[in-house]
Amino acid sequence: MHPPLSLIFFFLTAGTSIGSFIFVYSILVLEIFGKGAGLPKDVILKLGAIQLVLIGLGAFGASFHLGHKLRAWKAIKRFRTSWLSREAVFSGAYGFTLLLFLVLYYFDASPYFIHLLGSLTLLLGILSGFSTAMIYASNEFVLEWNSSVTVIYYLLMYLMLGSSLMLYFSDLYGLPYTGAFIFLTFLFLTLGLGFRLAFNIRQFYIRRPTLNEALNLPHNRPVRVVDTGSTTDNYCTTEFYYKKGKELLSTIIPVAYLLTFVVPLFLVLYSWITGVGGHWIFGITFISLLAGSALERWCFFVEGNHVQNLFYGLYPEEGYRLRKGYMERKETKISLY
Amino acid sequence: MAQFALVIDLNTCVGCHACATNCKEWNTQGSFGPLSDYDPYGSEPSGVWYNRILTYETGEFPDVQVFHLPKSCLHCQDAPCVPVCPTGASYKREQDGIVLVNYDDCIGCKLCSWSCPYGCREYDEADKVMKKCTLCIDRIYDETLPPEHRKPACVLTCPARARFFGDIEDPDSEVYKMIKERNGFVLFPDMGTNPANHYMARTETKINIEEFEKHILKADNPLFLEVMKKHHTKNKEEVA
Repeated sequence: MHPPLSLIFFFLTAGTSIGSFIFVYSILVLEIFGKGAGLPKDVILKLGAIQLVLIGLGAFGASFHLGHKLRAWKAIKRFRTSWLSREAVFSGAYGFTLLLFLVLYYFDASPYFIHLLGSLTLLLGILSGFSTAMIYASNEFVLEWNSSVTVIYYLLMYLMLGSSLMLYFSDLYGLPYTGAFIFLTFLFLTLGLGFRLAFNIRQFYIRRPTLNEALNLPHNRPVRVVDTGSTTDNYCTTEFYYKKGKELLSTIIPVAYLLTFVVPLFLVLYSWITGVGGHWIFGITFISLLAGSALERWCFFVEGNHVQNLFYGLYPEEGYRLRKGYMERKETKISLY
Repeated sequence: MAQFALVIDLNTCVGCHACATNCKEWNTQGSFGPLSDYDPYGSEPSGVWYNRILTYETGEFPDVQVFHLPKSCLHCQDAPCVPVCPTGASYKREQDGIVLVNYDDCIGCKLCSWSCPYGCREYDEADKVMKKCTLCIDRIYDETLPPEHRKPACVLTCPARARFFGDIEDPDSEVYKMIKERNGFVLFPDMGTNPANHYMARTETKINIEEFEKHILKADNPLFLEVMKKHHTKNKEEVA
């Protein structure tokens, strides 16, 4: 699949915004139950402003993959059936309730209303991330994506980005949560690494359809594409098969793994084991994770193979290797029905 | 409920691309046009087509067969492209089962094309909306046209008469009978899309050459001269 850069940008901004809000609000909830010292008001407002700007930028950036940006509001119309519609509604509502939450917090409104809006924002943020992940996971024609691993990993990425940003701010403002966020960042990075590896390993075991299935032919008849009807590429061969990306994929994936998991894990573990902190270490951790996540999302798109590529002979051919009867072609009278 | 569809006979399709060309010609000026072209006179011409013809080869050399597969929107009865549309621009008409795109509501997010296993939806870079085969809905209901012309442009133009149009749910229709009698098949039957467009399977025509040659008078036949002389004499007598 061709990677849309605007969607990668949306993932980074929305992921950082929602991920960090989850932790900010969790600290506020723990404070109600007498656990932890809470957060200073100015830190909550500063972080809230960053989260608000990020989700706004994300929504603006995501509109660049639309043909008609001004009609984007119409995306709320099919909430009942479309995950994209749900994503638009939930992410828009998340930004709106986040704004209200910050306004109420700024004016020291009743804690009842603050927590009502806070919990609503938290719920909408998680639902927004889940809906975005489901756009990919519910697509049964891109078998690499069509798995619960996609959803779990997507939400873990939000938590990775959020916890690493909170780790940076915790150290920057001298908050008593640096140790907790070192542990949480390590935990989510490790889980994220596990699920990303599972995503990659799963690709080797997918039972892929073949051209014979696409053309409704028996499996023992060798078929090959002779001509695709046009001398140049068309929408189907550029949108669903990114040739340049496929060539670069083997180089980009190791870099993505290195920046997303290896470098942040090394820095977090170094800080955890030696006790040497410093916001620059955690800043580098977050920047590395951000850059790695962008590359990882790029790989996620390029790794996806749409089944329509079968008609153009651009689908991976692993499906052919175990076909019974393929070697019996000399005994089989080959004809089309 | 009616379900209009195309039935394409792969036995007679010669892969001439006339259906694709006439589809483009009609629809680029019709109600659902234009079908934009990018760089039409340059080195990399491309553009939007509702109908594309793909050619495949089956078998191992020298026992190979080549067949052509005209592929346009299959107007699936369980169209996966319809529920994913966030604006409701993609819809399936209840009265005839045709899947259409409302260009005024389409935001060009391309998600419907991601949800089509056949690759039958194309994004128009000029209009910034998704376009697809309409089964020439602006022709088939046009009462100003003679009844025999109220068919999709591709069906009317096919020089090999490989394309048929009708209601596949109506037992009296030509396409219903064709599908039933000649085991019409669909593309990607495992995808759960239940496509409406059907294809007629290729049938192998077997000719026994030895048996056939018995009836041919060849020059190396020892009886050749005798037969020719007899034939010549008979003709002469008839003239006289």
